[in-house]
Amino acid sequence: MTSSETLTRPAPAAADPRAEGWFARNRSLVLASPGVAWMVLFLLVPLGMMIYVSFWTQTTFAINSTLTTKSWVAFFSSDTYVGALLRTLRLWLTVLALTFVIGYPTALFIGRFVRSKSIQTILLVACVIPFWTSFLIRVLAWRPMLGREGAVNIVLENLGIISQPIETLLFTETSVIIGMVQIYVVFMVGPVAFMLARIDDSLIEAARDLGASAWTIFSRIIFPLSLPGVVVGAIFVSVMVLGEFATASALSGRKVNLLGNIIVSQVGSLKWAFAAVIGVVLTVCIGVVVAALLRLVNLRKEL
Amino acid sequence: MLELQGLSKRYGTEVALDDVSLVVRDDEYLTLLGPSGSGKSTLLRVIAGLETPDAGRVLLDGRDIGALPTHRRGLGIVQQNYALFPHMTVFDNVAFGLRFRETAPVADPSEVDRRTRATLDLVGLTGFETRMPGQLSGGQKQRVSLARTLVTEPRICLLDEPLGALDANLRERMTVELRRIREALGVTFLHVTGNEAEALAMGDRMIVLDRGRALAVAPPEEIFAAPADTRVARFLNAWNLIPGRAGADGFEVAGEAPLALPAPAPQAQTYGVPYDAAWISRDPAPAPGEGVLPARYVASEFLGSKVVYLLRRADGKVFEVERHLSREDPETYAQDETLAVRWRLADVHLFDGAGRRIPLAPAGAPA
Amino acid sequence: MGDLPILKRTLAVYTGLFIVFLYGPFVVMGILSFQAGPEGGPQFPIIEWSTYWYRHLFGLTEATRIAPLPIREALLRSLTLAFATTVVSTVLGTLTAQAFRRNFRGSGVIFYLVILGMMVPGLLLGLGQALVAQNLGIDRSWWGTAFVLHVVYTYPFAFLVMLAIFNRFDPRVEEAAWSLGVSPAVTFRKVTFPMVFPGVLSAMLFGFTLSYDEFPRSLFTAGSDVTLPLAIYGTFAVEIHPNIFAFGVLSTLFSFTILAIYGLLMAASVRRARIKASGIQEDEA
Repeated sequence: MTSSETLTRPAPAAADPRAEGWFARNRSLVLASPGVAWMVLFLLVPLGMMIYVSFWTQTTFAINSTLTTKSWVAFFSSDTYVGALLRTLRLWLTVLALTFVIGYPTALFIGRFVRSKSIQTILLVACVIPFWTSFLIRVLAWRPMLGREGAVNIVLENLGIISQPIETLLFTETSVIIGMVQIYVVFMVGPVAFMLARIDDSLIEAARDLGASAWTIFSRIIFPLSLPGVVVGAIFVSVMVLGEFATASALSGRKVNLLGNIIVSQVGSLKWAFAAVIGVVLTVCIGVVVAALLRLVNLRKEL
Repeated sequence: MLELQGLSKRYGTEVALDDVSLVVRDDEYLTLLGPSGSGKSTLLRVIAGLETPDAGRVLLDGRDIGALPTHRRGLGIVQQNYALFPHMTVFDNVAFGLRFRETAPVADPSEVDRRTRATLDLVGLTGFETRMPGQLSGGQKQRVSLARTLVTEPRICLLDEPLGALDANLRERMTVELRRIREALGVTFLHVTGNEAEALAMGDRMIVLDRGRALAVAPPEEIFAAPADTRVARFLNAWNLIPGRAGADGFEVAGEAPLALPAPAPQAQTYGVPYDAAWISRDPAPAPGEGVLPARYVASEFLGSKVVYLLRRADGKVFEVERHLSREDPETYAQDETLAVRWRLADVHLFDGAGRRIPLAPAGAPA
Repeated sequence: MGDLPILKRTLAVYTGLFIVFLYGPFVVMGILSFQAGPEGGPQFPIIEWSTYWYRHLFGLTEATRIAPLPIREALLRSLTLAFATTVVSTVLGTLTAQAFRRNFRGSGVIFYLVILGMMVPGLLLGLGQALVAQNLGIDRSWWGTAFVLHVVYTYPFAFLVMLAIFNRFDPRVEEAAWSLGVSPAVTFRKVTFPMVFPGVLSAMLFGFTLSYDEFPRSLFTAGSDVTLPLAIYGTFAVEIHPNIFAFGVLSTLFSFTILAIYGLLMAASVRRARIKASGIQEDEA
C-alpha cells in the first residue's frame, strides 16, 4: 500500500547539503565516472581526432597538421568516391528493406502465433546461435553457397527450376546483399518479436469483439505497437550495414566498394587524411539515420 | 529518546510530510496509524536516513543525526516484505549485522553464534538455522527479519507494516509475540500500520497521520474513546459520524427527528456514535440519557467474537452497530425491517465545523 | 490471432524456410570441410570425403603449397584479449548500472554516451584510435590500442544487461543491510553482488563473445601481432581453401562449448535459487 511512497526515489541532485562529503552526495557520478572517462578517452577523443585529421594536409606518404579542406574537396569532386557514397546508401536501404520484409513475418510468427513461451525461446535462440560462429566465417560460408557450382545452383538445377547455373550470384552486389541480409536480419527479428510478444492479448480480443477484421487488427493495433521494435531493429541494422566492409570484400571479389572498403584501402596506402574524410562522411550518414529513427521512438524507454 | 522536529518532505507537488514533530520515548511501543499515502512510510524512511527531509531535524538523545547515513544511525528497520537475504541461511541472515557492521563488528565466531542463537530462540526459531529464506513461511520470514534487526541491539526498531503480509490468524499471534519480544528486550518499537485494530492492540501510544500531518498522539484507548478530530475518528473505523447542526430541540439531521445532545453545544456539526456503543432495538420511543434513530436493517457480518450489523438511515447513509458475543447472542432481523438504533448519550462525541472534537461537560449530564 | 489456421501454417512454413536460410551456409560449410585434400577446392562436388583439412589445420599433413592457417598465436591473443575485455567491461558496466539506480543530473547524457560505444561502427573508431596513436607516438598493439576499443564496444552491452538486472532488484534488501549498521560498500560485496551474479555472468558472456569475434576495431589498431579474426580476414585476400571451413566448424564447436558452460552455470544458479524458493511451506513452529 505504500509502494508509491517507497518507489518514488527523489534525485539526489537536491540532496541535503548536510550529508557527509562530496562523494556521498555525488555517489552516482562517482560510480559512473570510470566508465565515462573510458568513453571520453577512447570513444570521443578518437572520433574528434578523426574529424580533426580530415582537415590535415595529405602528401604522398605522410600527413601534416597544416589545416586544409583539400581532402574534402577531393572527396566530393571524385566520381569514384561520391559513387561509393551513393552505392553505400543504396545498399543500406536495400538491406534494411529486405531485413524488414524477410524478418517481420518470422517475428510475427514467433511473437504472436507461438503460444508456448518455451517454443518462443527455442525459436529465438535458434536465430541467435549462428552468432556464436565467427562473423568472418559466416560470410565466407556464402562462397560455396553462391558460386557457379555452388549449393544454390545445384539445388535449383536439380529441382528443374533453372537449366543453366546462375552466373551472377557470386562476386556481385547481389551476393553482398544476400550475405548482409542473412547476417543482420536477426537484429530485426529479435526486437520486433519482443515487442509483438508484449502486446496484451485482451487488446486484440477487444478489437475482434468489436468486429474488426484480421487485417484491421494487424494494421491498426499489432503493427503500430510493434513499431518501436522495428525502429530498434532498423537502428541496429543501419549502424552495422553502413559501417560494413568485410562482407563486401569477401563476397564481391573487390568489385563492390563501399565507403568502409575505401577507408580500409586508404589506410593501407597511408592516406590518413583521406580516410578520415570518408570516416566523417560515414559518421554523419549514420548520425542522421540514427537521429531520424530515434525521433520515432524513445530508445531509453524501450530498452 | 528520539525527537523529530518539524519534518517536512514533498515529492514534486505531493506533500508526504508536513511539519511533523514527535517524541519517541525510550522503552515504549509506539504505533503509527495512517491510511495509504498518509506519509507514514516516508516518516519511517526519513528517521532511518533512507530519505532526506526538506526541512526539520531528527535528534537521537539530543544529537542531530540528520547528516548520518543509515548504517551509522544505530536504528533497525524491519521491512514490510521482510527483505531477507535470499542467498543466506537463516543463521547467516541473523548473524549478518553482527559480523559485518562498521561499528564494533563481532569478530569472535563463538560470540556471533551465541548471540544469534539467543535471538533466534527469542523469536521462536530455534532449529531453523540452516534453512534458506525460500523454505520459510510468511510468519517465519517475519520472525527472521525481526531477529536479524534485534540481534544488533538497535536504539530504536522501526517496523514498516510488519504484519501486513500475514494472514489474519497469524497476525493476531504475531501481535502478542511482538509485544512480548519488545518487553523482553526493552527496546523501543516504532510500528507503522494501516490497520486500526493493530494500532490499538499493540501501541503504548499511537500516532495518527494523515496527509503528512500528525493529527493525534496519545495512548490508543484515549484516541479510540475520544478522537480529537473527525478524520481520526474516520481512520479508526469505529465511529458513526452523522452530519447535521445543533438546533433548539437537539442535533438536527436532515430527514430525521432531532437527536438528543449529551450537552449544549451550539457549534456542533458532526454527531459521533461509536459502533460498539450502539445497540439495536424494536422500540423507537425516546428515553432519557439515550439517543435513538430509526433505521432499516441491511445485513450483518459474523466476525468470530463479534457481530457487525449494517443499517440504513433515512438519508441512505449506513449506520454500523458492533455487538460482542461475550455479552449477547446474535440476533436475526428481516431484510428492510424498520428498527431503532439506540445509544447512551454518555458515549457520544460532538465535533465542530472544522472537525475538532468539542469538549463536553462530564458524561451523563442531562440533555 | 490464434484462430487463423491458414495464416498460422503459412507463417510456420515461412519461419522454417527462414531458419534454413540462416543455417544453410553452415551446413554447406560443414560438408565442404570434409573435402579431399590437398587438391580439393572450397566448392562442390565433394571429390572424396576426408578429414584432410582438419589434419592440415593442426600441421599433421605433409607440406604442400597451401600454408597452414597462421592461427596458433592469434588464437591465444584473441582469448587473452577477450578475457581482459570481459573483466574490464563487466566491472565498468556494473559500476555504471549501479550509478543509474538513482536518477542523477547528467544521467541522460551519460546514458547516450555509453550507448554510443555500441553504435559507432568499429571501423571508424579504429580509424580514429589509429590516428590518435600515430600522433601521440603510441605503438599500436592488440593489448593496448585494440583492447581499449574492445571495451568501448562491450561495456555498453554489460551496462544494459546490468541495468535490466538492477531494475528487478529490490532495493529494500540493501536498505535492510544498511540499517543493520553495515556500510554500503560491504553491503554491495556481501548482498547485492551475490544476488545479481547471474546477470554478471550474462554480461561476461556478451563481453567475451563480442570481443573474441571483433575485428573492425582491431584492424587498424592491433599492430603487427594479429588476433584470430584478423588472421582469418587476412585469408580473404588470397585464394581460400577448405581448411578455413574446417577451422570454422571447430571454432563453432568451441563457441558452443563456451555457451554450454555458461548454460550449465546459469542452470546451476537457477536450480540453487529454485531449491531455496521451493522448500516446503511449513506451518509456524
